[in-house]
Amino acid sequence: MSDESILRVEGLVTQFRTEYGLVKAVDGVSFELRRGETLGLVGESGCGKSVTNLSILKLIQSPPGKIAGGRVIFQGRDLLAAPEEEVRVLRGKNISMIFQDPLTSLNPVLRVSVQIAEALQLHHGLGKREAKAKAIEMLKLIGIPDPERRADDYPHQFSGGMRQRVMIAMALSCDPDILIADEPTTALDVTIQAQILDLIKNLTARNKTAVIMITHDLGVVAGMCDSICVMYAGRIVERASVDDLFYDPKHPYTRGLLDSIPRVDRAAAYGRDGPERLYSIPGSPPSLVDMPDCCPFHPRCAHAMDICRSSYPPETRLEGSAPRTVNCWLHVEEKRR
Amino acid sequence: MNDSDNDALLAVRGLKVHFPIEKGIVFKRRVGWVRAVDGVDLSVRKGEALGLVGESGCGKSTTAMAIAQLQSATEGQVLFEGRNLAALSPRELRRARMNFQIVFQDPYSSLDPRIRAADIIAEPLRIYARRGIIAMSDAEIMAKTLSLMERCGLSPSFATRYPHEFSGGQRQRIGIARALALGPKLVIADEPVSALDVSIQSQILNLLKDLQKEFELTFLFIAHDLAVIEYFCTKIAVMYLGRVVETADSATLYHRPLHPYTKALLSAVPLPDPRKERQRRRIILKGDVPSPSIEHRGCPFRERCPEAMERCALSAPKLASAEEGHEVSCFLFPNS
Repeated sequence: MSDESILRVEGLVTQFRTEYGLVKAVDGVSFELRRGETLGLVGESGCGKSVTNLSILKLIQSPPGKIAGGRVIFQGRDLLAAPEEEVRVLRGKNISMIFQDPLTSLNPVLRVSVQIAEALQLHHGLGKREAKAKAIEMLKLIGIPDPERRADDYPHQFSGGMRQRVMIAMALSCDPDILIADEPTTALDVTIQAQILDLIKNLTARNKTAVIMITHDLGVVAGMCDSICVMYAGRIVERASVDDLFYDPKHPYTRGLLDSIPRVDRAAAYGRDGPERLYSIPGSPPSLVDMPDCCPFHPRCAHAMDICRSSYPPETRLEGSAPRTVNCWLHVEEKRR
Repeated sequence: MNDSDNDALLAVRGLKVHFPIEKGIVFKRRVGWVRAVDGVDLSVRKGEALGLVGESGCGKSTTAMAIAQLQSATEGQVLFEGRNLAALSPRELRRARMNFQIVFQDPYSSLDPRIRAADIIAEPLRIYARRGIIAMSDAEIMAKTLSLMERCGLSPSFATRYPHEFSGGQRQRIGIARALALGPKLVIADEPVSALDVSIQSQILNLLKDLQKEFELTFLFIAHDLAVIEYFCTKIAVMYLGRVVETADSATLYHRPLHPYTKALLSAVPLPDPRKERQRRRIILKGDVPSPSIEHRGCPFRERCPEAMERCALSAPKLASAEEGHEVSCFLFPNS
């Protein structure tokens, strides 16, 4: 990892118009990604992690969606202001994406080699034969046995884990600068998950590819990421290096989240005669329709103060081994509240 | 496990559930079998929480369905309080069912969208009252329903709401209240928290834990998440390809796993602890789980097993005691 920043997201706002009202799925998200860094984007369903990343690549369907503000700076250009043709060239070549469900993101009627080769032909101008040879090479790299023969198979002939490998081969075939992995292992079993995470780690380390890893699994993040952004109700509430976040969480939500996961390595503590109780965050995440300008976590927060109910806390910078911020009134100096 | 069958609330012996694979549209012919459950032995003692863990397709849910008599077994017995459930008449089975109820995985599809919350919870009571199995008036049923709702963390003012008006966690609470309505002794919980977010998952786990104490429930808890199983259960059975490969109490299983599959499974579970994660050596298994339609002569795990021996291809090991209270099905241990 170097200090060179390759992607900067500033104040991203993405909204959806629904029959219930305006949903601010992403509400002022900013972060920075450095070359070779693996950044985790963590949060529960509906917190805006996926929408953030779809917005980066301008993949939000409009209407009902709309990227209403912010900038996404890649190679000195604001992607949100760039014309569609320019962004299309970047997609798959400089920034590529793998999705949660490998079955629905592969084309069922095309042979996998054709699907991997497509990006190579499009972005690198390779001929059909060269592209297929490179596709087979990619299949070999991701550990598909007998790649020459398997290249002509269709997606349904692969198992779930194999399909996700094929997705990874597609995503990395053009040596992108950034790989966005949206819950890449959520649909997979743990032993297969271990294989896939291992693969992503090794392949991205080779070319110093930066990774944005979207997941709800804090265990995955602990093993894969250098730094982490925790999202809640469309905003990043805490950002820190992986160690700072896990060993010294500052936001009450992060702390609650960490305490509420059962852990295999605590089996002994749970004991023989009725384990200890798990910590749990009361209530459930808020609806994002017409959110008032308060801290969205306050109804579930044990430390909620009056000010939390009336205005959203500003970003506070903290000491840490990586850029560290938290959005919580507890960390705002008293005179500034 | 047969020695403990006497004081067991539930005992499963040699359970097999095979599904036929058929070809042809008009003239169907059988071309093979999917051996979803292929010889499972289990016993759950009163007050215990037994966890059944394994990857998708290993037969955990089919085992649960066969235990609850929602799926007929190809072979083997399910004994509840010593009675073979498959031998009961429909009437007797209905009576016996009061004592074992299920909480399903998906809180969205397991509730009828057109029935109000209170009616969903009251339905089992009404059915049993109508058939004269329990004596309760409508007013008593409603009172019981409301108290169940309250006990499961649902405000009684939600009684007239429809399922779509609830969040995933609240729906799972409705499912739990429904399962408890008839006062069961055994609750079969099939992945009750897998569809939920972390912060909601811990609420539901705590609720189940409290209910277990309060109503002296016995649990058969099915999940693919080892951490959840270890938290909730006193004893764990690890399944692979339709068979139980290891059973032990939860602390023993974590600290001294014996079967190579259990070891790999444990090492693959990501820990929310970056320092531990960096130090850990993962056992990465090769390949995928083989199809359950292939008949295995030897140990079904041998193709992926890092410690496979010649012997493993010749015959299948059987589940046998390796040490006190710890059973394993692997040739690395002499009793198998």
